[in-house]
Amino acid sequence: MKNLLSLITLLLLFQPSFGQDSVEEELEVNKTVDYSNFVYESWAGTRVLNNHSTEMLPWRNLEFIVAHKFGDIAGDAGGVYNFYGLDNVADVRIAFEYGFRDNINVGLGRSKGVGVTTQVIDSYFKYRVLRQEVEGMPLSLTYVGSAVLPYKRADLDSSSAGSYQKFTHRLGFTNQLLIGRKFHERFTAQLNVGVNHRNYVADLDENTLFFAGASGRFRINKWLGIVGEYNHVFNRPVEMVHTNSLSFGIELLTGGHNFTLIFSNSKGLNENIFLNQTTSNWLDGQFRFGFSINRRFKL
Amino acid sequence: MSKKSFVSISALLGLACVYGFIWPFHEGKFELADKPKNNSEKSLEEALLELGDDKAIHYLGAFDPDSAKMGEEMVKFGRIQDGSNKRISKFFVCTDCHNIQPESADPGDESPEAVLEYGMQNDVPFLPASTFYGMYNKKHWYNGDYDKKYGELVAPTRDTLENAIQLCAVQCSQGRPMERWEIRAVLHYYKSLEIQVSDLNFTDAELDEFERLVASNKEQALEMLRTKYNPINDAKFASTDLPEIEGYQPILAHGEYIYNAGCLHCHAVGREITNFDLMDDKLSYKFLAKRIHDHSTFAVPYITRKGTYAVSGRRQYMPQYSLQKMSQEQMLDLVAFIMSKAKE
Repeated sequence: MKNLLSLITLLLLFQPSFGQDSVEEELEVNKTVDYSNFVYESWAGTRVLNNHSTEMLPWRNLEFIVAHKFGDIAGDAGGVYNFYGLDNVADVRIAFEYGFRDNINVGLGRSKGVGVTTQVIDSYFKYRVLRQEVEGMPLSLTYVGSAVLPYKRADLDSSSAGSYQKFTHRLGFTNQLLIGRKFHERFTAQLNVGVNHRNYVADLDENTLFFAGASGRFRINKWLGIVGEYNHVFNRPVEMVHTNSLSFGIELLTGGHNFTLIFSNSKGLNENIFLNQTTSNWLDGQFRFGFSINRRFKL
Repeated sequence: MSKKSFVSISALLGLACVYGFIWPFHEGKFELADKPKNNSEKSLEEALLELGDDKAIHYLGAFDPDSAKMGEEMVKFGRIQDGSNKRISKFFVCTDCHNIQPESADPGDESPEAVLEYGMQNDVPFLPASTFYGMYNKKHWYNGDYDKKYGELVAPTRDTLENAIQLCAVQCSQGRPMERWEIRAVLHYYKSLEIQVSDLNFTDAELDEFERLVASNKEQALEMLRTKYNPINDAKFASTDLPEIEGYQPILAHGEYIYNAGCLHCHAVGREITNFDLMDDKLSYKFLAKRIHDHSTFAVPYITRKGTYAVSGRRQYMPQYSLQKMSQEQMLDLVAFIMSKAKE
């Protein structure tokens, strides 16, 4: 428990302390930026579906997120006997995210987790390096670094990836770069590339996985849009049964609230989980329904 | 007294006299006390008092530029920049709803038509609340139908500017109660924005007549002066229905100005004033056009005339445009502009 608390503190402490600036500096930030030249609403929120988007929470905005994913809609585990997956909860995540600056976000969440990575606390730091402009910068570039800590009891089976011989075995990290562009008021695309590392994995698995992904968003109207997201892991060992995450979604915007309905073969709701713990296959009916409700507060 | 003491005291007195003469120049405050001001050089308050008008309840004996600076920062940023007070509201700052510059060419004509014409010429936001320019010279606040929105809360504000500022802080901006020194600082800022006699719309003949009355009949001069500005911001709330004005041809340029300088003043993405974002894009226009005839908060005539109310969990709300701030013709201009952009 002591170690757990220490690590939570550590996870929080690695976020830079940007809240200490003077009021003058804060006001200066707003005064000197030409907000009218930026391209806005590239994405509905800070996530595409499972993964991060280039969109950031504005300064002093807090977002509360509740996300669910259910069991398989079809296939052996789906169908009417599980009410098409609604009777099985695959993962649940509750999180708070905050905009320390218009270009710096941090987040802290908790999720049920998937596979051997269960009972998970996650944290991330997100920094927008470039921002798309109406005249000028043609794209947005964002860095996201995240960490997870499964706090479940270690498995007694020493061959399990969840046996956690040392405390540091619990930790996993993902670092990625997101490059996005809003091409039209209705269409946005994003590419992402990154590396996922777990300190302790099963015998045949790789600690460090390299991945890349693509996402797109098409807005049907002001409040309704269609979103797709795919992430491909390049160096996954052939012995592993894991698959790549492919998701589609519908977003509903109501102003203040953002609802996303997700259909995905991955169960996890965090990049440190869905990248390396996805085992389902769309072609086998192993896809599930999920949703995310985001509520934004101004602090 | 010894000769030495006499010389010393004389020298000190001499220095004091010299310093006393220089000091006012050094501070930049020196004015020849007996230099008479033309009437047109006076502030409106100064002229009114000289003509025998009663002092306002919020009358400030002496203007303090430092307080005015603090008041200006609270109005523009919600708090003083040196961090010596807390934000008044986390949802709004005053300039989200109030201008700080003149809204019309003639302070005696603050009709929506005059405001729109002046605003289009001078790029002034088209806002639902009264401008702070000349606020100090008003006699009554939260008039007319504002009691329908705020009930008995408006009673103490109608003749007292301090109370009106407090109501605005707590209710309109959904913030904390302001301390007395903060309200005084805002008053000093208002004082810096008061109407000057030279701003009033006198013709040459009227000015001659006014000068003559000032010398011969102060009471009549006072009456004349009072007709040249608007001491009351009246408010009449309109129906939420789309108005029907027979034969009226909407002016798209007016609608465009109202959309850009009014709607987008708060709703433009990136402004972070409201959760409902709008842009100068087809998605926004189509969204609004589709709901013009609805009776919902997304229908332009409905939301513009009724606004929204602050509720728990969603404290940001939209103030409504009274008929004194947007005419029915201007509503039709706005609707016609939105419809035309949606069809493009």
